[in-house]
Amino acid sequence: MRIGAAWILAAVAALLAGGCAPVAPYQRGYLARPDMALEENAGTAKALEKTFAAKEAASGGASVGGGGCGCN
Amino acid sequence: MRALAASILFALSGAAAAVQPGDPLPAVSARELEAPAAPLALGSFRGSVVYVDFWASWCVPCRVSMPALERMYRKYRGLGLRVVGVNKDVAHADAERFLKRVAVSFPLVADGDDAVARAFDVQAMPSGYLVDRRGVVRYVHRGFTDETAAALAAEIEILLKEGG
Repeated sequence: MRIGAAWILAAVAALLAGGCAPVAPYQRGYLARPDMALEENAGTAKALEKTFAAKEAASGGASVGGGGCGCN
Repeated sequence: MRALAASILFALSGAAAAVQPGDPLPAVSARELEAPAAPLALGSFRGSVVYVDFWASWCVPCRVSMPALERMYRKYRGLGLRVVGVNKDVAHADAERFLKRVAVSFPLVADGDDAVARAFDVQAMPSGYLVDRRGVVRYVHRGFTDETAAALAAEIEILLKEGG
């Protein structure tokens, strides 16, 4: 029974792993598309982030700098 | 558990080894960005010092690297330097918009099916591969700053002095 459960677990893990889509550094143009942004309006996002930082006395964690090139 | 290990190993086996200094220049060809009917084989530059640069409009350091490469290309072209820019934009219009701001005179190729990037197993953007006259990759640059430009110019001068 335990061996059967292990096989099922392995099969499920393999299926889930197959669903992952790694994005190579040279494919990050897809992530840079406007419709891939969490907030489509960059100005609104910046205003919300600034307000959040002022109210919470904490900043950062929302995003990282750079163009998503993976080189820094 | 053995099945899980086997499936992970199978997934990893598909990954190509990244091109390192000492490796031969991958024998790939690509279509020119502005003239899609004209294929450009990287091997056709044998006998010249070649810098293969992977760039894209969304790549922030490329705003530094492309003008720097253009300056080096103009300076060393007569001595035997060739530069090839491999564009990694999804949309051709994005590349065109970038090139309107940063005009370059060296050949540019498209890589829509990722064949060239996969052959080099590009690890970062931009990535540049400096190849000597015998077709051997001698220096690899990942990312680009003013320090990279200075180092690259020195490396180009070393390789230009070497025989074929």
